[in-house]
Amino acid sequence: MTSMIDRTVVDFVKVLRTAELAVSPAETLDAMRALNIVGYEDREFLKNSLSIVLSKTPDEKEAFETCFESFFSFDKFSSAEAQEQQPGHPENDGKFDPASEQQEGGGKPGGQGMGQGGGSGEEASDDEGGLEPTSSLGKLLLARDSNAIMIAIVEAGWEVQVNEIVVFTQKGLYARKIMDAMGLPDLQNEIGALQNEGSNARTNLAGKLTKARDRLRDKVRDYVEKQFFLHADESGKQLREELLKKVKLSNLEKRNFKDVQEIVFKMAKKLIAVHSKRRKQFRRGHLDIRKTLRHNMQYDGMFFDLHWKSKKIDRPKVMCICDVSGSVSNYSRFLLMFLYSLAEVLPKARSFAFSSDLGEVTRLFAQSDLEEAMARTMRDYGNGSTDYGQMLLDFKNNCMDDVDKKTTIIILGDARNNYGDTQSEILKEMYDKAKRVIWLNPEPKMSWTVGDAEMNKYAPCCHQTEVCNSLMHLERVVSNLLRSST
Amino acid sequence: MSTKNESRLANVEVIESNFEALNYICNPQIATAVFLAYHLEKPILIEGPPGVGKTELAKTTAEMLDLECVRLQCYEGLDESKAIYEWKYGKQLLYTQVLKETLGEILGGAQGLSQSVDKLHEFGDIFFSEQFLEPRPLLKALKHEEGCVLLIDEVDKSDHEFESLLLEMLSDFQLSIPEIGTVKANPKRKPLVFLTSNNTREISDALKRRCLHLYIPFPDADLESKIVHARVPEVPEKLRLQLVAFVQELRDMDLKKVPAISETIDWARTLILLHSESLDADLVRQTLNVILKFQEDIENVEAELQGVTNRALKET
Repeated sequence: MTSMIDRTVVDFVKVLRTAELAVSPAETLDAMRALNIVGYEDREFLKNSLSIVLSKTPDEKEAFETCFESFFSFDKFSSAEAQEQQPGHPENDGKFDPASEQQEGGGKPGGQGMGQGGGSGEEASDDEGGLEPTSSLGKLLLARDSNAIMIAIVEAGWEVQVNEIVVFTQKGLYARKIMDAMGLPDLQNEIGALQNEGSNARTNLAGKLTKARDRLRDKVRDYVEKQFFLHADESGKQLREELLKKVKLSNLEKRNFKDVQEIVFKMAKKLIAVHSKRRKQFRRGHLDIRKTLRHNMQYDGMFFDLHWKSKKIDRPKVMCICDVSGSVSNYSRFLLMFLYSLAEVLPKARSFAFSSDLGEVTRLFAQSDLEEAMARTMRDYGNGSTDYGQMLLDFKNNCMDDVDKKTTIIILGDARNNYGDTQSEILKEMYDKAKRVIWLNPEPKMSWTVGDAEMNKYAPCCHQTEVCNSLMHLERVVSNLLRSST
Repeated sequence: MSTKNESRLANVEVIESNFEALNYICNPQIATAVFLAYHLEKPILIEGPPGVGKTELAKTTAEMLDLECVRLQCYEGLDESKAIYEWKYGKQLLYTQVLKETLGEILGGAQGLSQSVDKLHEFGDIFFSEQFLEPRPLLKALKHEEGCVLLIDEVDKSDHEFESLLLEMLSDFQLSIPEIGTVKANPKRKPLVFLTSNNTREISDALKRRCLHLYIPFPDADLESKIVHARVPEVPEKLRLQLVAFVQELRDMDLKKVPAISETIDWARTLILLHSESLDADLVRQTLNVILKFQEDIENVEAELQGVTNRALKET
């Protein structure tokens, strides 16, 4: 019994995880301990308890609620049971049928809800020979205990591992497997045998069993469907996310943008979590008496090697220049999106966009939301023909003074200059002044010098040149950038 | 974990009624959290908007169990020397002085350096010992013989590092002091720990994992009315329902800071002082600054005051 409870908890946790609740094994153990104390009797109490143990933000609590309701749907059985007792039929009358018919009527509005009265009357007259089904499934089906049936379904589900279901086409397969595991073949044989016998009572019993079997099939399908939504829906999403991370940004379609945006935010959040902790000792502020005393003990307690309490978080000063001309606009969109999301760790980041003339979009980013900022950047600067020379000239005239030895400059572009003047000496000047100049090129290395691409002129004036055409690349580059800054 | 008044935590209903006796009206979730925290021996992390009674819950629990409430208020820059322990530096320095002066006597008769060092080793090392230790709230709570309620208030105001400092305490009810060793709580009387957070920043997963998580939202009208009744019993029922309806409506408005329960209670007290029997627009306008704390909000609400008041009057 305990192992069954444990297993239920493990299954439930699995469901929570697919719903993107990060439940750790330790919390799973806590949930089991909580269950031992709380018990299964009071559903509300159980829900509150598990919610307190397993979900740790208001959002998660909401998701938890949904998962709990669909996973522990006890109330459905009990209401079915209540309905079963509700019609005031005589003792041996209301067999399994009317109740479950009602139950289905409840499930599908406008179904056969009204037919039950006649149905049950007919059944009553049929029930004469005292015939009992012989197969175990048949007994179970006619035993009127919908709880027992549901438990049997769930157990069979465990047996065939219905929680491994991945795609919806498997629904039929799993339904079939569950039915088999419950002993459908025996039942089929019995029905066949009963029908062949010919006697009235036996045919009736066969009919009843057939009906019950069909109803069971519906139930099982329903169950599998539910399991599919619990287990597979989200793992499909995870699969999709993994793929999207690796796919080339230029191949992303518009309909994926929403997913990608989510991934970008997640990545940015991860980077923020990793890098916002880097700290450097400060040279003034509160005196750390403990450390000072400890360090000066060796000098006979004279305080001259002072230690301070305050530390400061060191963050790179980043200037990001994005080519938003037609050829690379897809990539710059994501870099801009990434920078936008990283604003928390990179408060000093300045963003620029250009096709030919350089424009600063930092303020636009700070003031408007992502969608609008993107749209306006693209409108104002996007889709012209590229002129890197002009961009570098503009940068020199407007921003060169702000570049110091703490600044990292990121340039995103394909370096296709339409055979214009490269002005690479300005880039050289930036190289000398800045801490790092990083060039991210969405094209594969092979084509860096083909046609009007000028990477061979620009590359010597960069500390680092990288191919960057998927979210994975982008994440790596930005992470390195943050790390190398300390 | 056990405590001298264990029976007061027997089940959720008992907890609820005990809280009610202390004028703290709670919903089943809150009582469940306290129940589980006690039986699973885990800290509770309480989140929710300001003024919904997060801190009050810890204090009330302490009162209910008749235990001392040790409180640690978190703020930016809080570190172990303020939260766990501090050495008594003055005493330590004096000790070294005394030691220096009596060194001759101690080492008297020793021949050569090695013997002196041996003698020095025989001498107990009390420079870093409990005598020189000044316990701060966390250590105090651990060493409490009777058990206690430890309230770590507004943990989101502290730094990331401090959260990591808390981990050992929260998962094992012990603290390691490098010079002395590990201090453990009395296993039969572990402290009941409450952490509160206003969500000004995300609490780390490591900390969350070690805690039960309780989210206290704004109460619904029914519960809030009960709370006001418990806290300010002298408010006539009609006025109580009216002011609760009014506040509930304010919470749906787009305000910089929506009024919390504590503000509703303050307002009820104010209205009692003014001997009011019923809300009306003028009265509300005069006392609006009790529930709204930003001029901007007050101006916004004043524009719609008549309508909101009328609706609150109609509802009750």
